Amino acid sequence: MNKKGVIIGVIFVAIIIGIVASFSTSPSETVNLDMGRTHGTISTAMGSPILGDPNAPITIVEFGDYQCEMCYRWFHTSKPQIVENYIETGKANLVFVDLAFLGRDSPKAAQATYCAEDQEQYWEFHDMLYNSQEHVDSGWANSQRLKAFAFNLGLDMELFESCLDSGKYSKRVQYNIDQARNQGVRSTPTFIVVGPDQQKQIGGAQPYEAFKKVFDSMI
Amino acid sequence: MTQTIKLVFSNFKYVILTSVIFTSMFIGLLILSEYIFLEPYIVSHIPSGTELGFALIVTLSVLSALIIPMNIFRINILKSSKQKMGGSILGSIIGATAGACSCGPIGFAVISTFGSVGATATSFLTNYEIPIRIIAIAILAITYFTTVKSLKIECKLSP
Repeated sequence: MNKKGVIIGVIFVAIIIGIVASFSTSPSETVNLDMGRTHGTISTAMGSPILGDPNAPITIVEFGDYQCEMCYRWFHTSKPQIVENYIETGKANLVFVDLAFLGRDSPKAAQATYCAEDQEQYWEFHDMLYNSQEHVDSGWANSQRLKAFAFNLGLDMELFESCLDSGKYSKRVQYNIDQARNQGVRSTPTFIVVGPDQQKQIGGAQPYEAFKKVFDSMI
Repeated sequence: MTQTIKLVFSNFKYVILTSVIFTSMFIGLLILSEYIFLEPYIVSHIPSGTELGFALIVTLSVLSALIIPMNIFRINILKSSKQKMGGSILGSIIGATAGACSCGPIGFAVISTFGSVGATATSFLTNYEIPIRIIAIAILAITYFTTVKSLKIECKLSP
């Protein structure tokens, strides 16, 4: 009886420890992720949330680095017109996939965007980074500055800091980098435009007219 | 100065050489610096804020196309030393490498091969693209004037 009681007690304690442990581990990266999400031949499961109508006939997959000068150029020259004429009108949507390779601060900047996504501010943080870009590894995208950007956006700093400092999304960013390499992407920005029955690659910070031609050939 | 240029380019071979150097350097740098795209359509543009970069590419290409044939002329025809040739090649190379944007395919290959050392090198070339191009132009300008001067002396042209 005594022996039985000890065994039952051990099993009970083990179950309690298991339950407590499962709740105390850091939140899984799969939170808010659709692991099966693909666009054309690309797995965008670990990429950004979709900007625009998820059911739009065209998806623009942008492979970029927050420290890339040409990505900055595209963000400020071509993207506004694409957003206005194609994304806001429901003809296209956009997914950003990190190819963070330029400098030591690139992966951290990419991870920070997903920490912002935890607080539903991915695109706001993304835009803030491209509006604040300076020279590669000049310190503009180091941990301190990334936290300052989060503070300026009014994010919950305790959550953001623990997310960034723990490297919660380092594997997610690495997955995106691997996905870009697997797609044969060798520069940033590179875009793969996925249409209803074809996909085309656009390399570099091309003008709006080049994108318009590709989109119009797909719709 | 005009006499020297006339002397060198009176030979049609040097005119062709100049055209080849200018065209390949100009088009190459415009592609590297993303002023021209070949795929999926041939497109060219000069985004606002990049006009200075474009002007420097034009200057660099013109100077390289002028100076390299002049120095080849000196070496071929006058059997002179190759010292000034080094200046023109150096200026052209420095100017061209500054345009190899670190986020382009060349930068990607360098960073993939050499890791953080490659990243540091390419980011330096990108961050200081304009000053590096200005230095390259200065080297080419100095080489141009010394070449013209030496051709005048060696060919005994009237000043």
